[in-house]
Amino acid sequence: MNDQIEKIDRLTREAVKEVFQSMLSMEVNPEPPTPLPADPAGQIIGSVGFIGEANGILYLYADMCFARVITGRMLDISEPEVDSGEMVTDAIGELSNMVAGYLKARLCSGGSPCTLTIPSVVRGQQLSVEGSAQVIRRIIGFRNCKHHLLAEVLLKDSAQRNS
Amino acid sequence: MSIKILTIDDSKTIRLIVAKAFKPFDCVVLEAENGVVGLAAASREKPDLILLDYTMPVMDGFEVLARLRSDPDLKSTPVIMLTAEAGRDTVIRIAQLGVRDYLIKPFKGELLIERVGRVVDLKPRAAVEKKHKRFDDPITILVADDKPAILAQVCSGLADTPWKVISADQPGKALDYCMGNEVDLVLASLTLTNDGAFMLLQSLRGYANTASVPLLGLSVRTATADQTRAQQAGFVGIITKPIEPAELKAKICRTLGLETSYKYFQQRDGALAITLPKEFHPGLAHEVSTNLESQLISTVDAGGDKLIIDLQSVESATLPVIELIISVIQAASKLSLRFAVVGTEATKNQCRSFQETETWPFAGSFEQALALLK
Repeated sequence: MNDQIEKIDRLTREAVKEVFQSMLSMEVNPEPPTPLPADPAGQIIGSVGFIGEANGILYLYADMCFARVITGRMLDISEPEVDSGEMVTDAIGELSNMVAGYLKARLCSGGSPCTLTIPSVVRGQQLSVEGSAQVIRRIIGFRNCKHHLLAEVLLKDSAQRNS
Repeated sequence: MSIKILTIDDSKTIRLIVAKAFKPFDCVVLEAENGVVGLAAASREKPDLILLDYTMPVMDGFEVLARLRSDPDLKSTPVIMLTAEAGRDTVIRIAQLGVRDYLIKPFKGELLIERVGRVVDLKPRAAVEKKHKRFDDPITILVADDKPAILAQVCSGLADTPWKVISADQPGKALDYCMGNEVDLVLASLTLTNDGAFMLLQSLRGYANTASVPLLGLSVRTATADQTRAQQAGFVGIITKPIEPAELKAKICRTLGLETSYKYFQQRDGALAITLPKEFHPGLAHEVSTNLESQLISTVDAGGDKLIIDLQSVESATLPVIELIISVIQAASKLSLRFAVVGTEATKNQCRSFQETETWPFAGSFEQALALLK
């Protein structure tokens, strides 16, 4: 169990760092998970599931301020050009898709079919996700300068799945 | 003709990233937000390449690919999958349907360009647009030579142009500059140490954004073996040292396809005026000949029937000058244009001494030539 948790934590750290580096040319460093600071513009959560040899779901949490920065970097446009609507939603969804894809490829390396779901994005104030007791739940915090990001992985325990 | 790339991806972000990545290239990026729209766009537009996402609503990439392969019109269209699905099973499924390549997200824009560049011939937009540039437009020329005297000769030879000359004394510095800046042409010394000019050529050809930058080799006249080797390697021409400014300018114009006709041709009072400059050089004959037919046709189309050749600036009516004028007059006579020559007494006397030119109608000015042809 501990091995699996360590693996999930390591892969999540690698996945987020790799995606931010490749797509945004941005360094993010792991930090202990803490609640995101309050942002009057709200929070955004991108989520993508993976189904197959490993079953789970990845959530990326960011406040809207950081989400706009991410979107601007991803599209190579200045922050004022970022519209807070579809542009941010789509960028966070795609970012989640890439992180989930990275995780899926390494968790489902046995050759059995495993598929990603289509990304979904939720916005609101003080959002949180509750998982059932039978899943492994890991939350990793990340920091870039003043900005914070949370990556949460819910993974169905393989012992549960096989039973 | 521009390359057509169709990106089929449900993520607007990815479509925007793709469109931005190809902006510096001469290509049209078409977008489709799902497989159904993508197939319709592919049938309609017949793209040269399709960038296809795997996980999409409505119709996923696998099904799109299967349908493309069963369509006789589209089955040979190359497809590159762009997917976050890095799993072995997915890759095997994709490969079985025959994709040209696949890219796992996240990806860097440079990698996308490199992979696409292996499938289609990406030409920098600037290189295509520069074909329409004029002689008096600003262009950037990089001189890769470790001898300051040669750089000085180039700068001095091009001093009367608006062209920007940048120097690099090592191939590595030249490559760095080309990677970060728009360069229209490279002049590289064939005597750079360690075959530097040839290495520079190879390096530039290895990147999509510099692959079509033309190189002219700088070489002493007698180093014919080097010159032959350079032209076989892909140098588009040779500038011999010591550098002759007129030849240098003419070769640059020819290499870049710069529009120069306005320097010599002018439509005026129902006549086509051709003004030759003070000094004759081989490039001049080429520039005049290249544009002559279209200028003559434009004159006739506009109702003109006269050709006036202005030799007032010409220093001496040498044999090459005379030969050029004879070819111009022959071309004009095919379209029934009548001609007169404007020149000084000295030029007139020189022309009188050749059998082919002794009967040319001479005038002292453009107006007098017009009156002569009325």
